[in-house]
Amino acid sequence: MTVGLNAFILVAALLFAIGLFGVILRKNTLVIYMSLELMLNAVNLALVAFSRYNGTMDGNLFVFFIITVAAAEVALGLAIIVALFRLRQTVMVDQLTSLSR
Amino acid sequence: MTATQSLLAVLLTPLLSAALIAFFFRRMGKVASAISVLAAACIFVFSLFAIREARNETVAFSWNWLHFGDYSVSIGFLFDGVAATMLTMVGLVGFLIHVFSLGYMANDQGRARFFGGLSIFMFSMLGIVLADNLIMIFIFWELVGFSSYMLIGHYLDTDEAAAASKKAFIVNRVGDLGFLIGIVYAYWHFGTTNLSEMHGIVAANSQWVSGSIAALLMCGFIGKSAQFPLHVWLPDAMAGPTPVSALIHAATMVAAGVYFLIRIDFLFPVEVLQLIAWLGTSVAVYAGFCAYGQNDIKKILAYSTLSQLGYMSAAFGLGYPGIALFHLITHAFFKALLFLAAGSVIHGCHHEQDIFKMGGLLKKMPITAITFLIGTLALCGVYGFAGFYSKDAILIAAGLGNTPVFVLLTLGAFLTAGYMGRLFWVAFLGQPKSDSASHAHESPLNILVPLIVLAVLSLGGGWIGFWPEQLGAIIKDNLDHLHHMEGYAGMHKTVLVAGSTAWIVGLVLSLLFYGAGAKEDRLEQKAAPIYGFLKARLWFDEIYGYYVAKIQQRLAIFLSFIDIFVIKGIFVRGSAGLVGLVGICSRSLHDGNIHSYVYWFLAGLLALWAAASGIL
Repeated sequence: MTVGLNAFILVAALLFAIGLFGVILRKNTLVIYMSLELMLNAVNLALVAFSRYNGTMDGNLFVFFIITVAAAEVALGLAIIVALFRLRQTVMVDQLTSLSR
Repeated sequence: MTATQSLLAVLLTPLLSAALIAFFFRRMGKVASAISVLAAACIFVFSLFAIREARNETVAFSWNWLHFGDYSVSIGFLFDGVAATMLTMVGLVGFLIHVFSLGYMANDQGRARFFGGLSIFMFSMLGIVLADNLIMIFIFWELVGFSSYMLIGHYLDTDEAAAASKKAFIVNRVGDLGFLIGIVYAYWHFGTTNLSEMHGIVAANSQWVSGSIAALLMCGFIGKSAQFPLHVWLPDAMAGPTPVSALIHAATMVAAGVYFLIRIDFLFPVEVLQLIAWLGTSVAVYAGFCAYGQNDIKKILAYSTLSQLGYMSAAFGLGYPGIALFHLITHAFFKALLFLAAGSVIHGCHHEQDIFKMGGLLKKMPITAITFLIGTLALCGVYGFAGFYSKDAILIAAGLGNTPVFVLLTLGAFLTAGYMGRLFWVAFLGQPKSDSASHAHESPLNILVPLIVLAVLSLGGGWIGFWPEQLGAIIKDNLDHLHHMEGYAGMHKTVLVAGSTAWIVGLVLSLLFYGAGAKEDRLEQKAAPIYGFLKARLWFDEIYGYYVAKIQQRLAIFLSFIDIFVIKGIFVRGSAGLVGLVGICSRSLHDGNIHSYVYWFLAGLLALWAAASGIL
């Protein structure tokens, strides 16, 4: 059985939407962070599907880039969140509003 | 010393003196007056050196002062016969008035300030005399305006002096605006403001003469020489000390306007000359009438000065700059004499200036009275006195050139004799009419010596044949030209008869009408409306006062409204307010909450998408 391209796009869109709403609605920085990763992987999924569908390697190439950059970003981002927690004892965004001052 | 060095010394000596007084001797009246008088003497000596060294040739010297791109402002001297004549007069009269001031200002608190002012005035005046381009003339022109302002306001604790100095300064600015525009126009037209270069251009092609430039430059002359309609400042300027009135407002500064015209006479087309002739004639007659309405000895002389300046500009307007210069020089001698003698009278009468409170001064102050009489006769144009020769030449020129002007100027001569007779008979004859006059005493020697020297000059200053050959070449040329004109002999006789009749009738009538040593003005008693009319001086001050208060002030209020509401309120404050409002709005978006940033990010993304896909 062959799964069609539309199914992949649908799953990718759903994943992206879940990630987006997670970023918008959730208050915990860690969860927002996971949602961001979800959005990136939704894009990865779409790219792999396109690559497969077209029979070229362009999409796959992008996916490798995104995975690499996302890995580096996760390392840095988690470190920032840990440092933030040590400083403020919280990772809730509604309590982290010192940018406005 | 070469001529150029002497001229530099002439110009810089008074500046040095003024600087010394201003920086070191402001509280030391004696030292300051000594420095200033010494400087005046040096000016005279150096100018004689310069005239000897110049050997009848034009000395031109120019030094670049400022560069702006391909334009440069230069400072330089143009020392020709006209400048030499003027320089000698300014140096001589200036020195005599400095000596007079030693006596006159001996008990004044602000003596150092006064002598410093005289020095800075001499510097500025000599700058005008020597300048070789319009811009330099303008700079020194403004400097004489400043020193005149400073010296009119010498008695700075009186409101009259403060108002008069302000009036003189502001009225002169009106004329100077035209002058300044004229200089810019002349530079645009000729590509230079140098007098000799402009003369060269005009001499090569008379098409280059421009009526508008001449008329604009004439505005400066109208302001400085107190001609119609800017004459109102000169009578008020008499609030200054008497030596200042003699030096600045009779002999030199007001004559600088006429001198300036003579320097640039090549720029004047016939129409503008006609205008100047009529301006001068009208002011000559008008001021003659005004003098009858005045009781202040200095104000009478001030109107007389106005009238004589009118004669000078009439002579210039008739096409005889040399004769204008001639009258300028002789007028400087006898008018300085009259003012100084009036100063001696005021000094002797304990600062009484009303002629109807004087009387009997001939016995109390014989030398002053006799020198004043000599000045009066010279001013009236009595045969043999200095004023006769120059006034005669003007009348002949008018008689040959323009009959209405001739008639009016003869009337002016009659009026002159009348008001001078009134002044002399009332103030010097009869019995003293006030305590101050009955306690009058003859002035000290340093006041009398300048009077005597000036009396000699008023007697003999018009004998042009005896002048040194370096001086007055242009005067002799103009007189020669006049002598060889058709109808000269007949006109000469007419003028001799008319002029002599004018002064004899004027003096006799004034004696008969007013009476020697009269207590009150008979014209005021017998014909009060006429006297009131003369005293009102055609209501010029009232008209200007009305104009300033009702028209200009309202315009100023309107402009101030525009300034405050439109420029300040809408443009300046309004634009700042708008930017501030935008700032407040955008700052409220910046709440530090990551979620709102995400929303804005999304909104931006949507907007970008909309723009890219052509929806927006």
